[in-house]
Amino acid sequence: METRPKIVLFQCQWCLYSEPDQHWVDNELPASIHLLKLPCTGRINPLFILNAVQGGADGIMISGCLPEKCHYKEGNLSALRQNEEFQDFLDYIGYEKSRIRFVWLDLQDRGRIQRELSDFEDDINKLGKAKIMASRINLPLGGHDE
Amino acid sequence: MNELERKLKTEIERLFDEDIVDLVIAFKKADSPLRPQPAFYKNKAELDNLNYNSLCQNNLANYLTKYPHTTRIGVVVRGCESRSVNALVVEKQHPRENLYLIGIPCKGIVDIRKIINLTGEEVNDYTEIDDEISVRVNGNKVKLDRKDLLHDSCLRCVHPNPTNSDVTLGDLLPEGDPSIVRQAVESFEAMDRSERYAWFRHEAERCIRCYACREACPMCYCTECFVDHATPRWTESSVSPAGMQAWHIIRAFHQTGRCTSCGACERACPMDIKMTYLTDKLNENMITKYQFETGLDDKTQPPFASFNMDDKKRFIL
Repeated sequence: METRPKIVLFQCQWCLYSEPDQHWVDNELPASIHLLKLPCTGRINPLFILNAVQGGADGIMISGCLPEKCHYKEGNLSALRQNEEFQDFLDYIGYEKSRIRFVWLDLQDRGRIQRELSDFEDDINKLGKAKIMASRINLPLGGHDE
Repeated sequence: MNELERKLKTEIERLFDEDIVDLVIAFKKADSPLRPQPAFYKNKAELDNLNYNSLCQNNLANYLTKYPHTTRIGVVVRGCESRSVNALVVEKQHPRENLYLIGIPCKGIVDIRKIINLTGEEVNDYTEIDDEISVRVNGNKVKLDRKDLLHDSCLRCVHPNPTNSDVTLGDLLPEGDPSIVRQAVESFEAMDRSERYAWFRHEAERCIRCYACREACPMCYCTECFVDHATPRWTESSVSPAGMQAWHIIRAFHQTGRCTSCGACERACPMDIKMTYLTDKLNENMITKYQFETGLDDKTQPPFASFNMDDKKRFIL
């Protein structure tokens, strides 16, 4: 049986206002999708993305609020420039840019996260497994290497 | 002492006489003629071993962050160093009014490795008169051309003249052609995706994690670097492929909009790892996306430190 691509989902805790969506993300995500909830997309450090890439993620999805609807006014804008540039930089080194996707969810967009994830999974399936850069020795959860 | 060194010495003596500075950072003669060392002069009595030639490898802006803000520092700066100083002033690492920049238009730094490649290791004398460089190898005098010896990042230098310096010694040089900046990036981009990664991996896997590149870089002044951080451990700090690649990626990325392409990292590297093809690409992106070039003045914030609502036009919806 074909295995599904490994996807890491970075989710801003405010971006899914509709209860059923958040419930689905919290409880019913497929096992191939690893969820990391953050207070804001502004919290994302390029190191998070790099760790996911090196840990063998086939795709990385970042979902956040629209810029003008950020819970912290402009938190996601502060991260936008860095993350965009980091995506281009990884592409320059050789990691496909299309494996990292940003989605900006509107509050009214019910069910959009499911659609986006399945679209993303289809696109990653076309690209195949990520072969390069997955060189990290897996650390136990929590990030300590003792 | 040549004419430039005499001028430099007179200027530094004047600074001490008029009590403008507490400390001057310059270069002094060292045991090996090929390796002048950074010198920290606190009075004019020590100035006899002052040295300045094309072999001065360090970026002296590196040492500004080691002193308290109240210390009045005079620094000898070339083009790239003056831009590094400006970038540090923007990041509030030293107040500009407590700095005195002695600018020297720079013809490029001579790479010691290139001399050794041409002549062998037994070099024990070095003189330079304009573009002619001569070294003594095993008792024989060998003449070399400056063009063959310049460091790679100096060959791509566009701004050889110091910007924003308080005094400039020597004649100003013509600006470089902006198209030469892309050389390293162009040759890297000419390869396809898997070749690019293979090249990057080949460069990164020679790394011995000595962090000389970090220590040589004026912009790497964090008291705790992300690789030294223990809880949580961000990257593997051992000599493993993932750890070495992460170090090279993130080190370069932290320089985005801050690197002045001085090449001090490459000159400091004991394993001769190429690094400027990474930072040059990021610099180029900062120019094309945000029209920002590092260190041209000491006011403008780098793109990552500033953002505005116009950015949202570029959102991928």
